[in-house]
Amino acid sequence: MNIRLTFTIIITKLLIFALRILKSGGTSLPGKVARKIYPDIMKVISKDFRIIMVTGTNGKTTTTRIIGKLLEENNIEYITNKSGANLVSGVITTFIESVDIRGKSKTSTALLEVDEAAFNVVTDYVQPDILVVTNFFRDQLDRYGELYTTLNNVRSGIEKSPNVKLVLNADDSLCASLGHNMDREVVYYGFSDEAYTGNITVVNSDASICLYCKSKYEYSYHVYGHLGGFSCPNCGYMRPSSKVTCVKINELNTSYSDIIFSLSPIKGNEEPVSYNARINLPGLYNIYNALAAASLGHLFGFSPDSLVKAMESFECGFGRMETIETEGKTIKVILVKNPTGFNQVLSYLLTEKQNTQIAFVINDRLADGTDISWLWDVDFEQLQQMQDNVSYFYASGIRAEDMAVRLKYAGIHSDKIQIEKDYETLLNKALDATLEGQNLYILPTYTAMLEVRSLLEKKFGLKEFWK
Amino acid sequence: MYELNICHLYPDLLNLYGDRGNIIALKMRCKWRGINANVSDISIGDKFDAEAYDIIFLGGGQDYEQEMIQNDLLNEKGEEIRNAVKNDKVFLAICGGYQLLGSYYKTWDGKEIHFLNALNLWTVGGKERMIGNFVFECDFLKNDNYDGKIVGFENHSGRTYLGPEVKPLGKIVKGYGNNGEDGFEGAIYKNVYCSYSHGSLLPKNPALADHLISIALKQKYKDFESLSSIDDEFENLAHDTMVKRITG
Ligand SMILES: [Zn+2]
Repeated sequence: MNIRLTFTIIITKLLIFALRILKSGGTSLPGKVARKIYPDIMKVISKDFRIIMVTGTNGKTTTTRIIGKLLEENNIEYITNKSGANLVSGVITTFIESVDIRGKSKTSTALLEVDEAAFNVVTDYVQPDILVVTNFFRDQLDRYGELYTTLNNVRSGIEKSPNVKLVLNADDSLCASLGHNMDREVVYYGFSDEAYTGNITVVNSDASICLYCKSKYEYSYHVYGHLGGFSCPNCGYMRPSSKVTCVKINELNTSYSDIIFSLSPIKGNEEPVSYNARINLPGLYNIYNALAAASLGHLFGFSPDSLVKAMESFECGFGRMETIETEGKTIKVILVKNPTGFNQVLSYLLTEKQNTQIAFVINDRLADGTDISWLWDVDFEQLQQMQDNVSYFYASGIRAEDMAVRLKYAGIHSDKIQIEKDYETLLNKALDATLEGQNLYILPTYTAMLEVRSLLEKKFGLKEFWK
Repeated sequence: MYELNICHLYPDLLNLYGDRGNIIALKMRCKWRGINANVSDISIGDKFDAEAYDIIFLGGGQDYEQEMIQNDLLNEKGEEIRNAVKNDKVFLAICGGYQLLGSYYKTWDGKEIHFLNALNLWTVGGKERMIGNFVFECDFLKNDNYDGKIVGFENHSGRTYLGPEVKPLGKIVKGYGNNGEDGFEGAIYKNVYCSYSHGSLLPKNPALADHLISIALKQKYKDFESLSSIDDEFENLAHDTMVKRITG
């Protein structure tokens, strides 16, 4: 028996327990302590696990959730870091929680959401057997540095993982490049050229130039952001063909999307087979998340039936979109954190047919990004189309005034914009303006979501988030 | 009816940190006053005729994207830009765009990259980034009702220094500014305005936005006198709240 290992595990477990009692929700401290006492702890306790990691800038949590559902559908027990503790210490804590004092676990699969900026460091301790990458969009630049740095960090993490199989987004030139000239097995997922044609080309794109030769990409079709059928006219780098493909969208609405997706065999050249699926969350971005999860299932050889079931039945993760019913009214809370994600949420709001209220809660703490200039990259202009169906657009949070300015310059009439910094008053006012059977949408940034959520917890008794 | 033609240079590549907020602000503040504002996007390979425009905007980009436009900017559009500056054309250049108008950029390990040389200023790369909300004061904006304070967000590692004929845009009240040393921020030369304040510089600082619109209209129309005032309640609230928070 390894005394030092046992000692470290006991101390860390006690710490996790103590923090729970104190309701601090702190999930990263125990991992930090464990690393201090026993630097090699990860190598020892993770060696018997089959490790799935999910990284990328947007959609990590939702993708992880769908994969979790998929594993459950296939009767595979797994450990996971549910509460968004996705840095090195959070990953360590997750493993320690799952092992007994000898460092052994009954479970042999680990499903881990890993922060894209932390992935490279995480791979110093533990390497994934399968890595699912969602996408690369600009996110909180003042904290993480430039987008290409993030991409290269993930790349060097992959280089440290010689046996990893990759699940990559074919429509994202940055994400797909991780499999380009890389000696790893890759399963690509994406949209076909005919699946979605509703999108106008947005100038403001994160990656409009070839990573390899700096020529401007040509696009045969666009889904959103820089996702689509890209190809470089100069060096020939282009969207790789996908094994898991959304070939048709039958319906997009505020609750779900009905799609047809096809599976091509992982090995061999047989014709792809198509399946119908209802994705239990709205928005194009969640179709991508579902495809990413389905690709992992496809790689594992799960039945197509179980893929469809997982897409249809998974529940939404912490804060990504939460629904609360009160007096016949529905409050929907959707996290917003960067322009691409925000635009997707807005185009989802446009599918709302009824009269509605929308509250934007914008903070500028470290976890939100201290620079709120990104609000100017969001196409709030599209809200003009639904202006008549919205009684009020509320602006709240530390940067409520900036949000109000943004809405005004997006062409929203000043009379419809209300600044309300007090959350309690905001909630009361907005609920008063919402009639029975209607929706109130609250769109907070990360720390604003924590605050809004604690108010909703108090008022309506939500579950605590680490459960 | 007055009309302004605004040129957005490389909007697909130099668009970091919400720089297009400045274009939106110019356009809307014209529109609310019944002034027609047309925005043209000019990028790599597009013909650029400075005479066709009244205001030219140049934003910032990631290093990689900035490298990418360098050839087109310096070799295809450089002469036209230098002439336009000489001929009093109104420019707004932010962050990377500001640096590009200068004569060179010296990386922290000593490599010198030639830039447009439209303004006598230069930038030296630093290892540390100067990041954060900041406030500076512009004398040319001061009047009985306004103290000339501008609020923004800076995020740059380059330290910029001005030649004798180039004046700073303002004096730092809180923050780093051009180089974190001399207490100045941005640059003015003829009708060229440069700043490290990216993103929503103009929306939250309506006085500066109106100043640019006014000088562009003066250049174009002999009979233009001044802009009509419009409701700036939200803009002023956003401005004042941040100034108060930063300067304490
Ligand atoms: Zn290329």
